[in-house]
Amino acid sequence: MKTIIQMTVNGELVESAVEPNRTLLQFLREDLDLTGTKHGCGLGDCGACTVILDGKPVNSCLVLAVQAHGREVLTIEGLAENGNLHPIQQAFVDKGAIQCGFCTPGMILSAKALLDENPKPSELEIRTAISGNLCRCTGYQKIVEAVQEAATVIDGTEVSS
Amino acid sequence: MLLPKFEYHEPSTLQDALNLLSELGGNAKVLAGGTDLLVRMKQKIDRPSHVISIARVPGLDAIIPRNGHGVTIGGAVSAGAISRHELLNDRFLPLALAAGRLGAPMIRNRATIGGNLVNARPAADLPPPCMVLNAEFKLKSASGEREVAAVEFFRGPGEADIEPNELLVSINVETPMPWTGGSYIKLGARKTLEISMVNVAALITLQSPDGVITDARIALGAVAPTPVRAYAAEELLIGEKPTDELFERAGMTGVGLCSPITDHRGTMEYRCMMIEVLVKRSLKQAVERAKSWKP
Repeated sequence: MKTIIQMTVNGELVESAVEPNRTLLQFLREDLDLTGTKHGCGLGDCGACTVILDGKPVNSCLVLAVQAHGREVLTIEGLAENGNLHPIQQAFVDKGAIQCGFCTPGMILSAKALLDENPKPSELEIRTAISGNLCRCTGYQKIVEAVQEAATVIDGTEVSS
Repeated sequence: MLLPKFEYHEPSTLQDALNLLSELGGNAKVLAGGTDLLVRMKQKIDRPSHVISIARVPGLDAIIPRNGHGVTIGGAVSAGAISRHELLNDRFLPLALAAGRLGAPMIRNRATIGGNLVNARPAADLPPPCMVLNAEFKLKSASGEREVAAVEFFRGPGEADIEPNELLVSINVETPMPWTGGSYIKLGARKTLEISMVNVAALITLQSPDGVITDARIALGAVAPTPVRAYAAEELLIGEKPTDELFERAGMTGVGLCSPITDHRGTMEYRCMMIEVLVKRSLKQAVERAKSWKP
């Protein structure tokens, strides 16, 4: 039986009727056409489906859409503002931290959740924060450098503004 | 990977949750964090016709200190919340450390302590720290409640002392004595998203910073069908001054209490060698922390 759910996705309130066995990942990709969130292993091992749920990164393949009822979801589509990339996205571009790109949305959201809580992370803290996001191109070094760069940029913006 | 169909229940009170459990019992599974259950359902290992989410039952996700005497941790508290909690890091360190090693950051934000305990996997992260902290698990059903000691709870791989109509509502732990230190060491082939090859939790209480050991508790995971307390190794330590030589003997005794298997994660021989090393290492860490205990 379908249930009516409401949640905030990237700042917008959405309402829909879903079957209980629909995952948040399916709901985002198939019902809302937000295909930036990737479907990888489906078992919580790869992190490609990472979204931020009420401020915390989670594997959206292991969350039911009905469990996100009343909650706030941020996907990769919600990061850019007025056509400008988020500083983390820009740093990934600048540092060459994207190869095939499949892990990138998840990596960036894990990095965002980290920087929101800890604006000046150590290299170890960055590596821990992205430890559930697998990159099969193994471009980890450049990803870590991109997060360090983003932290500096975000920190600089906040000081000057 | 698709989830099979099921009927979904989302009780908003504990009583409703318990009533549903007693009605549906064996046909229902409790959904807490979902990091085990949803995986098992996708893999068609579990096919419950009803799923009861406890996410909206108030209070189950709370960590409540009890006046310095101890702490009550709700069954639906996430591993992430445990690993970040100040009091748990201060006084119940083995549990906070183990919660911080479970899965990966995203898994820790969903996975719950209740789920990790009830699933009773031999290599799970949270049973050994609960065992050394002498935790008591409170189980409730529509018709009553009971407490089970952590050391009595685990029966076999995937089997725990909990009935289909019961819910693990909280984990109660007494605050360890002054001059107590703890540790948790997890050995795997990698640092994250790993299932332990061997894991060890230890808790040591000293008479004074340079005094003898007055209490010692060691629990091991992934070395037997259930996590085990190494009582014989503990007895060896009590009343003695902590030395490397003593810890080495405790490690050797610890090996004799385990019955590890050979599987794709490691061989029986390697596990035995590592039990010895990790017991020694975890005791050393626990004693260092006991010496620097602060009121």
